[in-house]
Amino acid sequence: MLIKLTGGTVYDPAHQIDGKVMDIYVRDGRIVERPRDGEPVSQEYDLRGKVVMAGAIDMHTHIGGGKVNIARTMLPEDHRIDPTVHTEFCRSGCGHAAPSTLTTGYRYAEMGYTAGFEPALLPVNARQSHLEMCDTPIIDKGGYAMIGSDDFFLRMLAAKQDQNAINDYVAWIMHASQAIGIKVVNPGGISAFKFNQRALDLDEQHAHYQISPREVLKALSRAVHELGVPHPLHVHGNNLGVPGNVETTLKTMGAVEGFPVHLTHIQFHSYGTEGDRKFSSGAAAIAEALNKHKNVSADVGQILFGQTVTASGDNMRQFANASHASPKKSVIMDIECDAGCGVVPFKYKDQNFVNALQWAIGLEIFLLTEDPWRIFLTTDHPNGAPFTSYPHLIKLLMDKSFRNDMFTKLNLDAQAMSTLNSIEREYSLYEIAIMTRAGAARLVGLHDRGHLGVGAGADITVYTDNPDREAMFAKPDYVFKDGELVVRNGEVVKVTWGSTHTVKPEFDRAGIEKDLKKYFDTYHTMNMEHFKVSADEISEGGHSRVIVQECKGRREKTA
Amino acid sequence: MSALTFTLKTAPQQRVDLSALTPDALADKSLADIAAIELPSGHDKPRVDTLFDISGDDASDIVIKNATDRLDYIGHGMRSGRITVHGNVGSYLAFKLRKGEIVLHGNAGDFAASGMAGGLLHVHGNVGDFLASAIIGERRGMKGGTVIITGNAGERAGDQMRRGLVLIEGNVGSYCASRMIAGTIGVMGTTGEYLAYGMRRGTVLLNNAPKLHATIQDCGSHTLPFLSLMFKSFRDLPTKFAAVNRNRVQRYAGDIANDGKGEILVFK
Repeated sequence: MLIKLTGGTVYDPAHQIDGKVMDIYVRDGRIVERPRDGEPVSQEYDLRGKVVMAGAIDMHTHIGGGKVNIARTMLPEDHRIDPTVHTEFCRSGCGHAAPSTLTTGYRYAEMGYTAGFEPALLPVNARQSHLEMCDTPIIDKGGYAMIGSDDFFLRMLAAKQDQNAINDYVAWIMHASQAIGIKVVNPGGISAFKFNQRALDLDEQHAHYQISPREVLKALSRAVHELGVPHPLHVHGNNLGVPGNVETTLKTMGAVEGFPVHLTHIQFHSYGTEGDRKFSSGAAAIAEALNKHKNVSADVGQILFGQTVTASGDNMRQFANASHASPKKSVIMDIECDAGCGVVPFKYKDQNFVNALQWAIGLEIFLLTEDPWRIFLTTDHPNGAPFTSYPHLIKLLMDKSFRNDMFTKLNLDAQAMSTLNSIEREYSLYEIAIMTRAGAARLVGLHDRGHLGVGAGADITVYTDNPDREAMFAKPDYVFKDGELVVRNGEVVKVTWGSTHTVKPEFDRAGIEKDLKKYFDTYHTMNMEHFKVSADEISEGGHSRVIVQECKGRREKTA
Repeated sequence: MSALTFTLKTAPQQRVDLSALTPDALADKSLADIAAIELPSGHDKPRVDTLFDISGDDASDIVIKNATDRLDYIGHGMRSGRITVHGNVGSYLAFKLRKGEIVLHGNAGDFAASGMAGGLLHVHGNVGDFLASAIIGERRGMKGGTVIITGNAGERAGDQMRRGLVLIEGNVGSYCASRMIAGTIGVMGTTGEYLAYGMRRGTVLLNNAPKLHATIQDCGSHTLPFLSLMFKSFRDLPTKFAAVNRNRVQRYAGDIANDGKGEILVFK
């Protein structure tokens, strides 16, 4: 079966195509160059005057795993205010900040997103997270395995084990948890919290293991690089939300000693201590450092005003934030002595000085960072705002006058502390396509997604060009997932089940399992073999299948 | 102008959500529009005119006749006008009521007056559990307004209640005023076990001596002049409490296990 998309204006930054009118052919879920001789076109879509991009990719969104379920359980009011009735194709659901799995998939697809990556896949909870993501329809999924505060790793580090052993452990974790990346949250801090430390700076010693976050970052960023994993180490740094943390963030960029690193929701890590209230924007310094350090990429974690819920593995910082909860409730918990979890509902207000400045800081980082290939559009769903606010965020980036109108409605003291309205930059459609498609696919390591070249998976979104970018991006005309039309005029017309993307780096399994087996038998709540999630478990429900993305194999040892 | 009247044709099999039928929601609608409103009911959305015979035209004065206990959310979020109901109703009567008046001639189910923030609910009959309480997941129950129950109330009446006045002329079940944050509850009849369990602040007025649990403290007999003022404020309310004028009470404080600033006043 051959589908022809005729005459659309194509934005495909992976192939430097910036608004070129061209035809696209899709056969069996893949983009092909042209029909075979005599092959009939079975379906044709007239896209003249329409904007065509690859399906968007959210490279950091909390859509699966224990903390999302805790958020759902803790916030029945979030579900009550936002019910979705069933349609001919979709099942009913609910939830604004923490929607149900089905609603999550439908709403992503309805905005033209065709993939989302869960950034806090705890290896011990990986099975549950994957099964939950399998229940998220239409979009492709994947997860970054969260380590760096787990006992086995910290013991290795404390014992000054050789980097090769650490590499083997990291690779083993990626295989066992079917991950596509490695994430570290508050390096060492989640563990330090349980030893009664309430803050841990980059060079501070962990009270028990006597290691510092800097050592954690160095070991992990190097491991990820040496294993050839395309996605750089995904770092949620120390001191999230603390005024003055811009220093920590700048030092963190240097701590990885040139290895690739991705700093996530960097907005929450870009605060200075200037001004009467000792809270100011560090965006300029952060953007300058991002422009300089080519090995560093970041996603913003923009906040937008309204009710949401923050869900994070960073129990240390969430514990500190719990007093700001709105409504007044929170969950701070340990998970299997290997990680933590903090869920705190939050309401961002434009008349609140801190919230208003956070909003401005996020936008400043977007606009001052020059290379759209290394900065990504996220709200850290649901921590800064639910993902459904992306069209609004895109409008803020693309429309200076709209942005300035919004800015003038903010808390006046916050306005005085920000340079936002002096920034002229407006993002172009090409740059938006880089941030949300080509760049994101390259960052995550999806070789056949995020572009419209021959051989790519036919994840395609078609918009009507509209000067109101919010309206444009909220309601695509067509969304194709693997060549099937899943959304028409912003409404789901077919429900498919995406795939789970993983990488499988090579490593010495026998060597590391000798130690791990002993460790599991002595300390763990489950058998080592049960800890591993197999690809069959993900695919057996018929809702997903595992795609192994290319991992370029072990690189030259750096030491 | 005559009252806009909805007469239930036959008792529905499924529960029906009547949130849409409030005076403010129907204010500028024609009878045809009202007839076409779809009401959520299980998997279906029946139109109003398939469930009710509709007559009258004054949307600010709504009457529901032949009501049954499958009708939920009557007066949900209402901001003005009046709803009169004849027959029993389901759960969430006067849910989040903000202003206006709801009068029920019959019995109500659970969670009546839950989340209510203002206005008047007058029930000529009994109500189920969780009167004026917080629904599951909420941290606050009733936040304002006046509730009068001529019959009995079930368990957990006033759970996490934050403000407002609840007057019950009959009896209440167990855990009345549990986790109460503030406000006033009056009970003419008897109370069940664990009255004021986890009560933080607020006032419970009782006619009959309650059975008290261990963390409620007896504070002795008092003559409290403010009670005269309070009963004076009840004078215009359509309830038996309007006739009360006593200020000699036995005072208990509690729940000591949770702040203990609540008070239980029992007439002597």
